[in-house]
Amino acid sequence: MIRLSDVGVRVPVAGPPGSKVLLDHVDLRLAEHRIALVGANGSGKSTLLRLLNGLIVPTSGRVEVDGHDTRTESAAVRRRVGFTFTDPLSQLVLPTPLDDVELSLRARVRDRGERRRLALDWLDRYGLAAVAEQSIYDLSGGERQLAALVSVLAVEPSTLVCDEPTTLLDLRNRNLVSQVLSALPHQVIVATHDLALAGQCERVLLIDAGRVCADGAPAEVLDRYRELMA
Amino acid sequence: MRPTVSVFGGHLPGDSVWHRAGVGWKYLVVLALTLPALCVQQPWLTATGLVAVVGCLALCRLPARAMFAIPVALLVLLLVLGVFQLVVGRPDLAFVVPGNVLLAVWAARLIIVTTPASVLVDALVAAADRVPFVDGERFGLAVGIMLRSVPFLSGAFYDVRDAARARGLERHWVARLTPVVVRAVGFAQATGDALAARGLAEGRPSAPHPRV
Ligand SMILES: Nc1ncnc2c1ncn2[C@@H]1O[C@H](COP(=O)(O)OP(=O)(O)O)[C@@H](O)[C@H]1O
Ligand SMILES: [Mg+2]
Repeated sequence: MIRLSDVGVRVPVAGPPGSKVLLDHVDLRLAEHRIALVGANGSGKSTLLRLLNGLIVPTSGRVEVDGHDTRTESAAVRRRVGFTFTDPLSQLVLPTPLDDVELSLRARVRDRGERRRLALDWLDRYGLAAVAEQSIYDLSGGERQLAALVSVLAVEPSTLVCDEPTTLLDLRNRNLVSQVLSALPHQVIVATHDLALAGQCERVLLIDAGRVCADGAPAEVLDRYRELMA
Repeated sequence: MRPTVSVFGGHLPGDSVWHRAGVGWKYLVVLALTLPALCVQQPWLTATGLVAVVGCLALCRLPARAMFAIPVALLVLLLVLGVFQLVVGRPDLAFVVPGNVLLAVWAARLIIVTTPASVLVDALVAAADRVPFVDGERFGLAVGIMLRSVPFLSGAFYDVRDAARARGLERHWVARLTPVVVRAVGFAQATGDALAARGLAEGRPSAPHPRV
């Protein structure tokens, strides 16, 4: 369970007023199995997601994952919460999916042969065995997004945070990635502009100008979202 | 973003003798192929080295283009090196110097094309681990990330060049280089974030920094 208590995030900026508010007074308990964040570009979705696995820490208030403070226990937090970026190319740091998944396993599996076998196994589970040793630049958009996802799953987190996982994809690949996400046993927290994906979640949060302005079942929150965007 | 053929190429799977050879042997063969020519600077040694490396590359049984292709930038470099030696009155070196560069590039390909990056990196890690005060794993990770970023950065360069052309700014160096630098910094930050997100980077998390 992830808990945000009166969280605020500000960044210093040049000139008055000296800082910009990215998030303000966010109080949340995130326990549902499927949670979506919707909101306009620049509303603060990515900032909120980055708080959840300690990529950033709040300037005020606190964020806890299963009781671990992201500020002081980042290692425990990152083991529990995996994070995928919108652009899989920023996520995959090594030349091939296989290398990248092996990298994720490096901390836990010392033996090289074993690591390789496990990495192939992970890729195979998501239909990526055939492209395991291809350059990540030669994969389709969907394969790349899945490879990025697998490299995070290989760390075996219990919660997966996905920042706009389908935004860069065409319809076919969007469906593919949505299906994979919805079949995961993990808790999934996803920021998205894809209303179909948000509609499948148990709970939807609407973010506007750094605040949570609606929170509840998809039907009502998505209606609010449409009104707000009209 | 357009990926590009890099000077050294990337791993291509296969089952030739070279693919099956141990990475330590490959490093040894590459040294044996290149060191004599690089040290002695004799045309016949460079020529022998080139013939030998071409023979070795042919044994990989991969498309000739992938093995022998010489990117335009490298070709220009080789020509410049050759012409320079002619101009300074060393016709013998006009073949040896560019020949040795080509020899080194092809020899490097012999390893890089036939060995998965993870194996290459592990071999380097094992070697680096024997050096005092060097953390082999971190070193290997750095090398892997470097291999990965070469196509990204050269791709960024071509994208930006095309974008500059599309706006009629092809002669404007600031318009061509600034975005590449911005992307390189962005890429470095994203890589750091990606490692941190998987718990692979140490250091304490911080509040967001102002963006570049
Ligand atoms: N490090 C930063 N420095 C300055 N401004 C930032 C930084 N990070 C985010 N912002 C700004 O904060 C706002 C929210 O950003 P973000 O959380 O990325 O929004 P979203 O993901 O909903 O599009 C945007 O206006 C963005 O430009
Ligand atoms: Mg965002």
